[in-house]
Amino acid sequence: MTRADKVLLVGILLASLVSGTALYSRFFLDPVGAQPIQAVVTVSGKAFRTIALQSGARSSFVVQGRQGASKVEVDGRRVRMQQAPCENGICLKQGWIEHPGQSVVCVPGEIVIRIEGAAPLDAVTR
Amino acid sequence: MSKRATVIACLLVLLLIAGLALLRQSGANREYSSDQFLMDTLVSIKVYGNDRETLKTAVAVAYAEMHRIAELADGFAQPGTAAYQSSDVCRINALAGKKPVQVDGDTLAMLVLAKKYYQLSEGAFDVTVGPLMDLWGFGGKNPHLPAPDQIKAALKSVGCQDLVLNEQDRTVLLRKEGMKLDLGAVAKGYATEKALQALKKRGIEKALIDAGGNIRVLGQNVHNSAWRIGVKDPRKSNEIVAVLALEDTSAVTSADYYRGFEAGGKRYHHILDPRTGYPAAHNMTVTAVTQDAGQADILSTVFFVLAPEKALQLAEKLAGVELLLVTADGLIRHSTSLRGRLEVQPGAAYRYDQSR
Amino acid sequence: MMRSGTRRVVFLSMLVAMGTALHVVEGMLAIPLPVPGVKLGLANIVTVLAIYLYGLRDGMTVALLRVLLGSLIGGVFLAPGFLLGLTGAVSSTLVMAILLKRTRCFSMIGISMAGAVGHNIGQLLAASLLLQTSAVLYYLPILLLAGIPTGMFTGYLLNSLLEHKSEIFRDFA
Repeated sequence: MTRADKVLLVGILLASLVSGTALYSRFFLDPVGAQPIQAVVTVSGKAFRTIALQSGARSSFVVQGRQGASKVEVDGRRVRMQQAPCENGICLKQGWIEHPGQSVVCVPGEIVIRIEGAAPLDAVTR
Repeated sequence: MSKRATVIACLLVLLLIAGLALLRQSGANREYSSDQFLMDTLVSIKVYGNDRETLKTAVAVAYAEMHRIAELADGFAQPGTAAYQSSDVCRINALAGKKPVQVDGDTLAMLVLAKKYYQLSEGAFDVTVGPLMDLWGFGGKNPHLPAPDQIKAALKSVGCQDLVLNEQDRTVLLRKEGMKLDLGAVAKGYATEKALQALKKRGIEKALIDAGGNIRVLGQNVHNSAWRIGVKDPRKSNEIVAVLALEDTSAVTSADYYRGFEAGGKRYHHILDPRTGYPAAHNMTVTAVTQDAGQADILSTVFFVLAPEKALQLAEKLAGVELLLVTADGLIRHSTSLRGRLEVQPGAAYRYDQSR
Repeated sequence: MMRSGTRRVVFLSMLVAMGTALHVVEGMLAIPLPVPGVKLGLANIVTVLAIYLYGLRDGMTVALLRVLLGSLIGGVFLAPGFLLGLTGAVSSTLVMAILLKRTRCFSMIGISMAGAVGHNIGQLLAASLLLQTSAVLYYLPILLLAGIPTGMFTGYLLNSLLEHKSEIFRDFA
């Protein structure tokens, strides 16, 4: 390895560290169970459904992605992709997510489950 | 410039920008909110402004207005009580088929509006459904499925064409004995609008009134962007089926999941089609969006009773009126003009085709 | 470096063939990380060789062709995975070409690491555009980190190749 190579290596490590801190620090600072959170599910960029995540509430539903039907499971304040038709199944291996900012992405199915903090709704007409 | 000077200059600029951003935040930011139980539901009013006293007074006046309208429109007051004396609706009902009753300007205004939409909807909206509602028993503890001939008989006492309004004398007459007014689909919205105008008159610029699901917003929300109003999923009470971005307008919903009962394996809800005497069956939920809350209240019922295609056409015809609906078989449809202010979340249970 | 017509075309075709094979094979190697888009990057070797011998244009051609053919064979042609692979290939080729041709201080290890990082960042950006969400950016730190070992591995292979370059490329460059 040349000197430039080593500099580059350190540079990438630093970039990874900095971006990691910026993106992941929230997971450790946010006291679990405090703020209202919700899971936002989008398919091919379009809003599919937003689920309020409350402890004690269990549910699951089917999402039609680009490759077929996937199943999303909600268990209290966490959510995961339970079943998916994609061949590599990376989204399944991710397991449960529970902090705002975390997401499960199924690239071939174009499905994104993302946890956002706080209920952004001002009111509900009913 | 030397390197150090450059760094200091950059920091100063950043501080300046941060300072300006902070300044922008404060100001008309103070929030005051209050809840009251009236018209059989919880009414929440949230206002924003500088001075807490002004906010408190404005909200108090707004509630007073709503109470006043509630009294005028109260159809359930018992004879001999003070409520009965102040209820225009009770007096009109009592003197049905007998003689005209002099009423408050707001009562007349509500009825004029109601008759207008009776005509526009070709009878799908009718405030004289009182006898029908009584027959089904929705107002009381024992709602039940009436026999067809009972419904036919009740229908004889229903018909807004027999509601006579005299705007000069400010009188109201129900022509036939046995006729009865029910302002349940008008009063809440009308009262909400009155409340909002009271807030506006007192200089409030940002407010949200939630009268049991009837939403009326004034201006923008505290972050200077449109208020985000969710539309409740008609089958899953914890979820929403769409989000509306609204400014200075009303959103009122009529749906099949409020009051109702089950008989013979079928579910009957309380929004009756005045033409047939049976619950309207086209939709699960309809949300009307228009500036005036009283009109929104009426329109939500009109659109709920009409077939979806007719409802959408009627909305197009009327200026400044839009709607969103979920049909009985789960299809989500809405006015095309809503597109930029609407985010539909069909979920797994409903179908939504953006192109239609 | 020569641009002799027939030899160049023949060698480039060989590179494309090898690149395609590598693309398909590494697509089948399961990486234990639950992050989409982490690959060994073996196919980049042929891209680097093409750039090294013949410059950016030919390098880009090889990269695009191997993604195209590799996806056709792998059955993901025109699927989202294909588009991401394409963006990744383009961005990594650009990065590697710039470093290879404009600088002299990097060895193949540095070039490959830069290529891996360029590939991952390009893919992330494409994914965030495709899915219209910034959620994918949460994989950035991991992907950056992953570029180091994969880059070092392929870079090491390339370094070894180039040690014997006078024999290997004798007829082609």
